[in-house]
Amino acid sequence: MNDPAAVINSSDQLVVTHEDVDRAHDRARVLDARSHGGLFSRLRLLWLLIGPGVLVMLGENDGPSMLSYAATGARFGIGFFVPFIILTFLMAVVVQEMTVRLAAVTHRGHAELIFERFGPFWGWFSMLDLALGNFLTLITEFIAIRAGLGFFGVPPWAAVFSALLLLYVALMTHRYWTWERVTLGLALLNLVFVPVALFTHPDWHSIGHALSTWQPLPGGLNKDTILILLADIGATVTPWMLFFQQSATVDKGLTTKDIREGRLDTVVGAMLAALAAVATVLATAPLRAHGMSVENFQAADFAQALRPIIGHVGAALFALGIIEAGMVACITISTSSAYAFGEVARRPHSLNLPIAEGKAFYSVLFLCAAAAAAIVLIPGLPLVYVVLIVNVVAVLAMPPALLFLYLLVNDKEIMGDLVSPKWANALALAVVALLTAAGLLFGASVIAPRVLTVLGGH
Amino acid sequence: MHGISAEDKELALAVLEHDQLAKAKDTQYARRKLKGGESVVLWSLRLYLIFMLAVVLYQIVSGAR
Repeated sequence: MNDPAAVINSSDQLVVTHEDVDRAHDRARVLDARSHGGLFSRLRLLWLLIGPGVLVMLGENDGPSMLSYAATGARFGIGFFVPFIILTFLMAVVVQEMTVRLAAVTHRGHAELIFERFGPFWGWFSMLDLALGNFLTLITEFIAIRAGLGFFGVPPWAAVFSALLLLYVALMTHRYWTWERVTLGLALLNLVFVPVALFTHPDWHSIGHALSTWQPLPGGLNKDTILILLADIGATVTPWMLFFQQSATVDKGLTTKDIREGRLDTVVGAMLAALAAVATVLATAPLRAHGMSVENFQAADFAQALRPIIGHVGAALFALGIIEAGMVACITISTSSAYAFGEVARRPHSLNLPIAEGKAFYSVLFLCAAAAAAIVLIPGLPLVYVVLIVNVVAVLAMPPALLFLYLLVNDKEIMGDLVSPKWANALALAVVALLTAAGLLFGASVIAPRVLTVLGGH
Repeated sequence: MHGISAEDKELALAVLEHDQLAKAKDTQYARRKLKGGESVVLWSLRLYLIFMLAVVLYQIVSGAR
């Protein structure tokens, strides 16, 4: 295995930074938990190591994602999309697990590995995809926050300012562990969509039927179905997730001994996120039964529309969920941008950095969010359309990003014996093929809609 | 590095793998050469992305009309 630290080891000049000391304190607790047997110690170990996986999955249940799920429920009701959304989370687990292994083995972020192994030419392409995707997505997060707080009568400027203030407070801990726990606590509020779904008294027989038959799909395969299909995929697997989970896992300090817990973290995150996503579809499904047109809705308008069906409390919870979704994603996505910037610019990049040592890291993180927030205050943005398109763009950018991930995780020189097994490669390539096919289907639906008729659609 | 006690330094060196240290990242992995097939797939997916983004742009423009 190629060990870049070997040079430093041999020179016997090990430099320890504040970032290292903070990480060492976290790792000492992990090693302590690992040294004891018993159920309590194993649970403590899981508690200490869980984080990046749950955060990335619940973070991706962001403003545009929840709006996509809400639009899915309102347009298609309970049917094909319920099992389809669960499938997209299975795809996310396959993909994100690779980032855990890469991080644990190399202790490098995704961006720096692409730059180091494939050079700046391909590295900058990846950065461009990430920067563009992240910035567009950040705009939509602030749209969600603005709309959600709008439900409670908060003016747009105050909503945006509050979100930036919360982001600032989270960063000022300049401690990865504290930042992670605060953000995790916030992210768990994503499950607020579950009680909202229960308020609608969902038809459990229809849910069982949908899960077992993948039916019905009202309207069949048409342009709108494909747009929602891509938006729902983009609500679950996107490039920023690769960069974020790998960098956060490195920042947290996971090693090869922690891969099992890292995988569990990812699976638990996917299960929680899938639960919230399906709950959102169930929550808005009654809108279809009431013949309401999804085109009329913007983020918090779903909450308004649901009020006659689930009452004020249910509607307020829905709006709160939209705010939370936007806020958590705002924190995680801007962090992924800052990690990538630090890795590429070879500047210190860690949430353990004291402010004085991490000025560039924290500035990029905050300024990205602030710029996106400013754009949201421009009046007249077509909100629903913007968020659906952002998810579509995320799906389109995924195959090139996944190919780099595939090449890295099969790179024997850096991964040693922890390269992907054949079955994992087959699954990863299946995900690439599925995403590419979905993208091409979307392209065909736009350029040559008649192709859909040939494929049995309308 | 200022402000780091000997105790903390000792702890960091004891519990962190040496390539986990922040300064270890100054040493980079060597560049690997892409195989012919890998380059073809990378370029294909890059062109796919550019083409599809043009399609999205077309959809936005046609939707705006």
